[in-house]
Amino acid sequence: MSIFSSTTWEAFTRPLGKDNPVTTQILGICSALAVTVQLKPAIVMAISVTAVCACSNIVISLLRKYIPTSIRIIVQLVVVASLVIIVDQILKAFAYDVSKQLSVYVGLIITNCILMGRLEAFAMSNSPLDSFMDGLGNGFGYGKILIIVAFLRELFGSGNLFGLQVIPQSFYEVGYMNNGMMIQPPMALIIVGCIIWFIRARHEEMQEK
Amino acid sequence: MENILNIFVKSIFIDNMIFAYFLGMCSYLAVSKTVKTSLGLGLAVTFVELITVPVNYLISKYLLAPGALAWLSPSLADVDLSFLTFIMFIAIIASIVQLVEMIVEKYAPALYNSLGIFLPLIAVNCAIMGASLFMQERAFANVAEAAVYGLGSGIGWLLAIVAIAAIRERIKYSHIPAPLRGLGIAFIITGIMAISFMSFMGIKL
Amino acid sequence: MKNFSNLYIFTFAAVLVLLVAAALSFTALSLQGRQQRNREIETKRSILTSLGVTSTVDDAETLFAKYVKGSLVVNPAGETVSEEAMTAQDVKEQVGRGADRKLPLYKAEIDGQPYTVIPVAGKGLWGAIWGYVALQGDCSTIKGVFFDHASETPGLGAEITTDKFRTPFAGKRIYEGGRLVSIKVAKKGTYTPDDHTVDAISGGTMTSKGLDAMLKDCLTPYDNYFKKQQN
Repeated sequence: MSIFSSTTWEAFTRPLGKDNPVTTQILGICSALAVTVQLKPAIVMAISVTAVCACSNIVISLLRKYIPTSIRIIVQLVVVASLVIIVDQILKAFAYDVSKQLSVYVGLIITNCILMGRLEAFAMSNSPLDSFMDGLGNGFGYGKILIIVAFLRELFGSGNLFGLQVIPQSFYEVGYMNNGMMIQPPMALIIVGCIIWFIRARHEEMQEK
Repeated sequence: MENILNIFVKSIFIDNMIFAYFLGMCSYLAVSKTVKTSLGLGLAVTFVELITVPVNYLISKYLLAPGALAWLSPSLADVDLSFLTFIMFIAIIASIVQLVEMIVEKYAPALYNSLGIFLPLIAVNCAIMGASLFMQERAFANVAEAAVYGLGSGIGWLLAIVAIAAIRERIKYSHIPAPLRGLGIAFIITGIMAISFMSFMGIKL
Repeated sequence: MKNFSNLYIFTFAAVLVLLVAAALSFTALSLQGRQQRNREIETKRSILTSLGVTSTVDDAETLFAKYVKGSLVVNPAGETVSEEAMTAQDVKEQVGRGADRKLPLYKAEIDGQPYTVIPVAGKGLWGAIWGYVALQGDCSTIKGVFFDHASETPGLGAEITTDKFRTPFAGKRIYEGGRLVSIKVAKKGTYTPDDHTVDAISGGTMTSKGLDAMLKDCLTPYDNYFKKQQN
């Protein structure tokens, strides 16, 4: 990793592992669990969030010395909102089916706490390159959780992955049934709860007292 | 009238922001440690939604929707500004939140101190943005319906956060497996509460 | 923290707003054509599906031009008002209107057989549902249907888009002894099978009810027009 200094690389890797925005900082779960019923929209959502997060981090980091403190939240919101609009327009033009599935949740990327959290905590005080890597890392860390949840829900909820049936028909014939509960909203919460349980059982220092 | 009552009840129990759409989860999980603060935040969110949803309704109806500018002059009938929806909504929300923040700071300093960082964060509370976006998707007939929807979904959110705060206050005395303590169990409880809220699904007035 | 003068803050805000507005307008304008086309293709594919024609994004326009001969708007009295092409999205605003309600329809012809396609729109459990109903030449027997939805629960209400739900509609009749009865969607096992009823989605009761109401609301006003065609 000669082109990256160690801190830059760390800005990327930390949120992927121990500092995961969803499981440890409780950020950003809001706007997206509803798109985890199927894998495809979840992946598009993860990519969109990563793109917006990385780009807005760069923009804010470049502007960080010029943004007046008193209006910085508004400036951050404006930058994020414009990037989200661009993503939304691009999805509508090039991935129309998926954009229909995501419906209002694309707009809700604006209020994804990860974005504002990273802008405030990282991009306001770091160089553009570090911020970019931090944005990518957080986006991926977030996407990782989203994709795990979507994988479990689609597999057990409807027996499909990416809309294709993966659980063989013979299973159904001997009495296997899809778990209808999996596609209902509550299961997303319970799965995230279990993921947190799993991660914290492995890293004792993360447990709450 | 019947329709308005229907929207109100539906937005509290069936289309509950937390249990059906997971919106506003960040502050929901972070502030729900005591009943008192969560009640304060819940009220603030309800108030902000009550104002922002109808305001955004008017904005989207008379400024942003395709052909919405026709009332200004017929030549503008073809203008479609709907791509500005997100940014307009968030700007309105941010300014109203700023207003609420100033009012709370002046008249209820104690509440202001206990809500701390979360007041400015209401601006990025997904429940509020979500309410405006769902309002747009559902195409309500008039501004009263939109206002009732805002009020209802705010109350639904308030109900959810106060309920979980009460449970979390109690749960401190239970023996929960160490890795599950705090965040983990809060998610699972929310899931179970959501399952019980699903029983409201069939309600129709 | 540096202190910034008010003038600086205003200038900063103004420049930012201008830049953002320019960037957004540029994106919106440059992508508008594509988006518009996506929407049109979607409508065309929906209509083709209701007629039982499978299409892809690429051949939808050719197939549509081949089979769909034109569009009409009639009023509840059954008189032709215009030849405007209105989609299911446009129908949403018409629902609930009285005598001035615009009732759009598409005329299609496949292998010499005439068909009439009616756009329908209504409400499911969570949000809007809509679709197209293709009728055979007698304006009573259903050739096929297409349904779509904004936000029904995947696996439950959202099943209205599947072939499994749609196929049983074919061959059902909306008229019974000269009276328009529409198509009912009823829970499996709770009705005696007849020509006017299809199975509801198990677990998607509210969506099924909404769909049932949508068909009734959107087909009934055509009564006079259909009768004219039948005679």
